[in-house]
Amino acid sequence: MSAIEDTAAKTASAPRTSWTAWARYRIQHTVPEGQWLPDRQPSYVASWIYVFGMATLVSLFIVIGSGVVLALGGSEWWHTSNVGHFFNSVHLWSVEIFFAVMAIHLWGKFWMAAWRGGRALTWMTGMVALLAAVGTGFTGYLSQTNFDAQWIGAQAKDGLNSVGLGAWFNALNPAAALTLHIVVLPLAVGVIVIMHVILVRRHGVVPPIGAEEPTS
Amino acid sequence: MAGTQLLAEGAGNYLDFGIFHISFTNALIMGAMIVVFVLAVVIPFPHHEADDEAPQ
Repeated sequence: MSAIEDTAAKTASAPRTSWTAWARYRIQHTVPEGQWLPDRQPSYVASWIYVFGMATLVSLFIVIGSGVVLALGGSEWWHTSNVGHFFNSVHLWSVEIFFAVMAIHLWGKFWMAAWRGGRALTWMTGMVALLAAVGTGFTGYLSQTNFDAQWIGAQAKDGLNSVGLGAWFNALNPAAALTLHIVVLPLAVGVIVIMHVILVRRHGVVPPIGAEEPTS
Repeated sequence: MAGTQLLAEGAGNYLDFGIFHISFTNALIMGAMIVVFVLAVVIPFPHHEADDEAPQ
């Protein structure tokens, strides 16, 4: 046996001897074998209602991509140039589509009782992702750097003050709103969405009520 | 305050149903989402005949 084969055999039989072995073991066993990128699904998945989770993910990619372009150009660019207006509109409409398809995804999963079969954490991460996305959307309204943002900021300030949250978050602070919008909340959405997708792959898509889940 | 209310009055059309006050555009989008949801449930998903023969 060569030195490489010897090392491979040892790490395969003792996966928790180092953090790399532990990480490899976790990556390999987080989802069942072949389920990271499956090329086949149970027959009940052949329904349009199962499309909206992926539609949400695709629109999120477009939201992030157009947001990165807006960050590179800055507000003076997206408010004044034709290309800036275009990317501003792409960002707005991809967000509109993102929330619309996410809501339809939520309705479909709610009426399917998608928390069945050990999928409670999948359901909960989806709900937390929705809440984090709503927060990202709200801070996006505050980050437009126009009169619309001023108006919404003033209304939000009154609302937050009325429920006692004004001491922790000032909606009229554009730097705080922008930083939350482009760093903190997108990071939260991204991490939660990754957890959600991993859990979907770990447990498989939920079968319709009354349908039998494949055993393998 | 009166000035800001004046500015807001021209911003879109609104529907009023008792305590509910919603912009026409938002109501239209919500209606469209419900239509898309119903269509997604009832419209058959296209599939290849080969899929019927493959083991599940």
